[in-house]
Amino acid sequence: MVTTLAMPEPVAPPAAPRPVSVAPAAPVNPAARAVIEIDDVDFCYGASKALHDITLNIQERQVTAFIGPSGCGKSTLLRCLNRMNDLIDGAKVTAGQIRIDGVNIYDPRVDVIELRKRVGMVFQKSNPFPKSIYDNITYGLRIQGQKNKARLDEVVERSLRGAALWDEVKDRLHESALGMSGGQQQRLCIARAIAVEPEIILMDEPCSALDPIATAKVEELIHGLKKQFTIVIVTHNMQQAARCSDRTAFFYLGKLIEYADTRTIFMNPANPQTEAYVSGRFG
Amino acid sequence: MPASTDTPSLPRLATREVLLRKRRGWFFGLSGDQFVKYVFQGNAAISIIVLALITLTIFKDAVGFLPQNHQNLRIYRLAGLEYVDLFREQVTAHSTMSRYLASVRAQRLDLLLNKEGLAPAAAMTRLADFDAFANQFADTINEQETLLGTMTDLTTNLKERQKVAEDLVEAKRNYLDAIPGAPPERAAMLQTKADVIHPEVIDFKGEIQPLLAMRPEIAAANARQMAALKALLAQAPKFTDADLNRRMEKLQGFVSDYFQEVEAVVPKMAAWDQTKPVGWLESFNAFAFGREWITASFWQDWYGILPLFAGSLLIAVIALCIAIPLGVASAIYVSQVARPIEQKFIKPYIEFISAIPSVVLGFFGIAMLGETLRRVSQMPSLSWVPGFPMSERLNATTAACLLALLAIPTIFSLAEDALNNVPRSFKEASLALGATRLQTMVRIIVPAALSGIVAAILLGFGRVIGETMVVLLCAGNRIAIPNLGAGLGVIFQPVHTMTGIIAQEMGEVPHYSLHYRALFMVGVVLFLISLLVNWLAQKIVRRYRIVAT
Repeated sequence: MVTTLAMPEPVAPPAAPRPVSVAPAAPVNPAARAVIEIDDVDFCYGASKALHDITLNIQERQVTAFIGPSGCGKSTLLRCLNRMNDLIDGAKVTAGQIRIDGVNIYDPRVDVIELRKRVGMVFQKSNPFPKSIYDNITYGLRIQGQKNKARLDEVVERSLRGAALWDEVKDRLHESALGMSGGQQQRLCIARAIAVEPEIILMDEPCSALDPIATAKVEELIHGLKKQFTIVIVTHNMQQAARCSDRTAFFYLGKLIEYADTRTIFMNPANPQTEAYVSGRFG
Repeated sequence: MPASTDTPSLPRLATREVLLRKRRGWFFGLSGDQFVKYVFQGNAAISIIVLALITLTIFKDAVGFLPQNHQNLRIYRLAGLEYVDLFREQVTAHSTMSRYLASVRAQRLDLLLNKEGLAPAAAMTRLADFDAFANQFADTINEQETLLGTMTDLTTNLKERQKVAEDLVEAKRNYLDAIPGAPPERAAMLQTKADVIHPEVIDFKGEIQPLLAMRPEIAAANARQMAALKALLAQAPKFTDADLNRRMEKLQGFVSDYFQEVEAVVPKMAAWDQTKPVGWLESFNAFAFGREWITASFWQDWYGILPLFAGSLLIAVIALCIAIPLGVASAIYVSQVARPIEQKFIKPYIEFISAIPSVVLGFFGIAMLGETLRRVSQMPSLSWVPGFPMSERLNATTAACLLALLAIPTIFSLAEDALNNVPRSFKEASLALGATRLQTMVRIIVPAALSGIVAAILLGFGRVIGETMVVLLCAGNRIAIPNLGAGLGVIFQPVHTMTGIIAQEMGEVPHYSLHYRALFMVGVVLFLISLLVNWLAQKIVRRYRIVAT
């Protein structure tokens, strides 16, 4: 567990409500703690280098957006944060460190299973399991050995409410998740991710396959979720980044070009490439 | 692109002309596309027609079985064979008891020789009492056997005459059939040939009168036999050994069962009706539910598929019990756990097994596996295993071990495909929730691929049930329903199979004989089983296919 690696804060017991920090009206909260520290990270797929010397800090309980044209490495960086890249042969971090709560997650002593329990993920394509809605939500807890029916019921309700899905599906919890609409499926995936109560949620273009109405719902959801979770979102949609993120990082060709609060990136970027991209002149 | 003014530009047709231009064919007026289309269409049509013809022929030859078997059963009744068999049962029951006595004697001899340590000669003297009893016991059936012999001779003679008559009728019909269309001289010759043939018309009713007349004689003989047996049992020898005495008491029980049977025989024979018509369903049932497959018998042929079907099923079940864990487990390993270099090695290797000709596998089974299994089964430390030591080297398990080898590649390949077809996103989602690889495999990937795995198993079953060479060589080829009384030991009994019987007997049967058609019926049953298995497999795959969104 991450806690065994001298994590400063003990985890709150699952039933207890988390301390809710009031979201600041201004996108930047200077007092926020950097929960993820990325230091000089290089990343390679085999021989080809996908990330060059990335350094950035991600603040607790904020939404951080990664933007940039296709192939710029934003998804790669996101997948480094919960080590999903381990599944790809020959892909590895070749330099630098990624620290979560001060622990280098590429340290050989780190239990990657525990890491992924703390760093949840929502994928580009909604991927509910071919099981019932109920079983989808409880999967994460069941594999941790949770068998208490009352507890599971409670988590299902809380997660579905958290994902603004409860009212739509409460009467068909035991029907297949594959019968839901695309937007519902994606929100189910978010509910599934928050059911295990992670610290951080990574979202890899969560709305790219959704229609505008479903997208709006998910964005609204993200806005609500940041009270509890630190969210990192990769998106192609610049309006989305502008709408729902506090800080934005712009990547280009595997390099971090600019990282600042969202308003600055969109209104007053320092780098001409950023300016060109956000104003739609390339990408 | 600016064309240079020096080079003359190609003449360009107006769009209107191009659109309406007729495409010139280059092959008998067909364009390339049309030609290719007709070639493929033709090939597809030929294969469909050939397949349909094969199926039709098989079914046609098989369906002829029903009327022929009907005739067979009709003669069985008319010629009185059925009547004689009622009596034969009694004689068979008696000889079963005699065999039981022989086994008691063997046990006694074993005791005398090994426990009491007597010399063989001395042991024989000690057995003299018992032997005298056993001989007298066996002699009580002599009268019945003589009667049965007479009856058998009468009826076989009758059946033989009927067969000759039928052949003559057939020959006569062949001559007459050839007359239309033949030149006049030849037609006249055929006519004279047909005219001299006078097939006997047998009066079954009259012919079996002597048979029926023997009933009082039988009743008298039976009464004498029962009296003799009663007297004999009263002075049955006693043993010192408790176990042997118990067996002797059991014999008393057998004898009283036998008495009941004997008393029922004559009334049953009296109630037998020669003229009762044989139903068409009986002809079918004799095949579908017949417990005996007896061919080329001097007495009566029976074509019951049950022993063959049971043999095939037994072998298939054993083979699948071996092949499913191996095939599915290796599929899971290769698709989920193995490193790419292992995959490169394991996959072709397993698929290579299916390249071994089954006759080679069968040869291996005879030469090595059967003998090895028997040696292992004879090890004293394994005597607790039911069925050990094996009495036969070649039995259902020998064949099933090799068949499993043939089924593994089928199950492995299809199951592996099914597992690989599980969307990668499921795996990622599960891992991202903090599941271990094992949890992901057991809870997500295998359940998602389950329909494909079940289909793979079904097709493996189809592969096993249709396999011929291995079972013919290694299954022991004893035509009998496996004796389930042996418990689990049943898997070490020799059996015969549906495929094996066709391969073994088809070469020797006269065309269009009853036996020939019976083999076709077995073929049809096999065909239907394969069809069913394939259909089910497809159905399962379609029904439960995961829709990857």
